[in-house]
Amino acid sequence: MVIILAVFIILALYDLPRFIRKKEPVKVFVVYVFLMAASLAVSLLLAAGKRPASPARWIEWILKMIGVVK
Amino acid sequence: MEKARISSIQLFLLIIGFLYGSTVIINPALSAKNDAWLAILLGGVGGALLIGVYASIALLNPSKTLVEILMDRFGKLIGNAVSILYIWYFIHIASLVFRNFGEFITTMTFPETPMAVVIGIFAVLLVYGINSGIEVMGRTSELFVPFIPVTALIISLSLITTRDFTAFLPMLENGMALVLNAAFSFITFPFGETIAFLMLFPHLNKKENLKKVAALSVLFIVVLCLFIFIRNISVLGSDLMYRAIFTPHLTSLLIPGLNVEPLIDINLLIGGGTKISVCIYAAAKALSQVLGISDYRKLTTAITTFCVVLSIWVYENVLEMFSWAEKVWPYYSIPFQMVIPLILLFLSLKKRAEPSKSRE
Repeated sequence: MVIILAVFIILALYDLPRFIRKKEPVKVFVVYVFLMAASLAVSLLLAAGKRPASPARWIEWILKMIGVVK
Repeated sequence: MEKARISSIQLFLLIIGFLYGSTVIINPALSAKNDAWLAILLGGVGGALLIGVYASIALLNPSKTLVEILMDRFGKLIGNAVSILYIWYFIHIASLVFRNFGEFITTMTFPETPMAVVIGIFAVLLVYGINSGIEVMGRTSELFVPFIPVTALIISLSLITTRDFTAFLPMLENGMALVLNAAFSFITFPFGETIAFLMLFPHLNKKENLKKVAALSVLFIVVLCLFIFIRNISVLGSDLMYRAIFTPHLTSLLIPGLNVEPLIDINLLIGGGTKISVCIYAAAKALSQVLGISDYRKLTTAITTFCVVLSIWVYENVLEMFSWAEKVWPYYSIPFQMVIPLILLFLSLKKRAEPSKSRE
């Protein structure tokens, strides 16, 4: 978990100051933070052994519900 | 739009690298067992038609990316919604290829190394390549993709004394349905995934060569896949080829007195790297166009990080990966690879016909 946090902090420290220096629009920050936060949350859950249902399962479930996949 | 340009040969090699991508370890046509050659041929014909559709869309909408075409044809609201679905699709493809790569390396080459480390290090290299731009990606493919057929040839020649060409027989033992299913899977993986190239086609310097380049790359991949299939089945036999998890790796292990195993890793590095780069580039560029961000490079790190995490999250184990790729992927891909592109082609043709009608 510590390694995961360290990796994400390094990535954020590499990108965010660059965005601030170049005065990037807010939407760049929003998308960046959203993707990184989602990645961090899933990584921490995986590291903790609490694997959330994966998108592959959701897709399979939807296709089964429609009746495309048995 | 970015002014970068790629030549026809660079696009040809990028498409070959992309199509070969993870097909080097997972070839859906092999589910037809000893009739896989027929599935490869039928899938190749279908794949050529599909890539022809994508090339036609690009030629009917010159200098426009997939996102711009979607917004033009569907309007801003629906266009944006469909673009977001495509962004997800490109991210999903990239993460699946990351996972294929990670599974292969941690199963065969570095069994003691955690998969996240293997995928993470590969991702760092790819981000560097993607941030360097499409021209660098094109030049890198010029440098590396030619190794793919060369390594396939080296492995095949090394096994030239160990062959049984009766392994193809009997033909159509399991019926035509299995062959057609395998051919359909082969169309959706890898040919249909070239929809991502609609984000790259505007960078081609000679647009008139687009259809020729697309057709030649499909032909090349079909011949290469047939060549590799013939090698694998004649060396391993139908049953073992079907049961093996990573068939080319097993074949390469059978070469007496010579260890060419790393050549498969190199092939996967080149093909998988090209495919992931194209998909992440397409996703970052599409997202930047949807949001009106000037440079796609601002989003590549975040998208690649998400792809890496998704690749670990998406399957629990290698068996789920193979099962999902065989059973779910072809149907999940239909809207992205066939339905929406065909609607786009129809609307583009209609739009082109409109001005001539009004002149009459």
